[in-house]
Amino acid sequence: MKLETRKIPESEPEMVEIRYHWITDEIQEIITFVKSRQGQLSAARDGKRFEVPVVDLFYAESVDDRLFLYTAADSYEIRMKLYELEDLLKNKSFFRVSKSMIVNLMKITSVRPALNGRFSAILKNGEEIIISRKYVPALKQILKGGES
Amino acid sequence: MTGQKWKTLSIRALRLYTLLVTLITVLMIILGNLLDRDRVFSYDAFFSPLIYALIGTVATMITRSDKELSVRSLIIRKVTSLLIVEGAIVFIALNADTIPTDKNWGLPALVLGIFVVFVLTHVIQYFIDRKDAEKLNADLSRYQERQMNGSPIHEYHSQDGPGCN
Repeated sequence: MKLETRKIPESEPEMVEIRYHWITDEIQEIITFVKSRQGQLSAARDGKRFEVPVVDLFYAESVDDRLFLYTAADSYEIRMKLYELEDLLKNKSFFRVSKSMIVNLMKITSVRPALNGRFSAILKNGEEIIISRKYVPALKQILKGGES
Repeated sequence: MTGQKWKTLSIRALRLYTLLVTLITVLMIILGNLLDRDRVFSYDAFFSPLIYALIGTVATMITRSDKELSVRSLIIRKVTSLLIVEGAIVFIALNADTIPTDKNWGLPALVLGIFVVFVLTHVIQYFIDRKDAEKLNADLSRYQERQMNGSPIHEYHSQDGPGCN
């Protein structure tokens, strides 16, 4: 794929143009990356493609090698790996709470102890997710003002 | 194993050990006063709670897992841990003279006592975790306020929800 960048005057708006023959996985990956930088993720539900605002995301979960995004009431499938999404969203209040899940810290109402040193987080839509023991020290650090 | 993980694990083990020493000492005082008031010990008896607590801590640590266990697996591990502790302490008690296992009530009281300490340890651990959770909630609240007041996340805030392509 040919890459072209061009410096433009400040009076012109910055833009990314993708010229494609077909939307391949590679193209879709680039689109997803660019949209995520704009605060949106391109994901699918019932065969339709949706632009999901990052701020509306509650959590993302990897199930059987497929990655799902969850908002207050809906779920979407996104074609990327959890670690890639985690990397994309690391400066947007998302935090890894288990091997298969990242959660939006802005959507947590409260935290309470669960079994065996784990914690469970109650989300603003009433859902409850488990925070693995392994990730609790990092969570404490981030909430105290460390880097996410 | 990372340094942070070692640190967390060590703190947890030390906390459990201290808790067990305290609970076992209290249990020995209560059981001793109730059931064997006239018994006299040498200074060596002070080692008993330390040794029993060490057995309890080691049994808990070797049956712990880094994996996220299901509730069923967790219960199996806890029961295994309890059985190891019961077995080890009963074995020591039968071969030492700090606990009067020759009396009828000796062994049942010991087995029951270990179970009570086991349950109490978990109850106290839960309250410690609850205190941790309260602190986490306070930090979470401050974190969310900080993000709301200064984070670029607001540039992306959407009122309309996801749009269809």
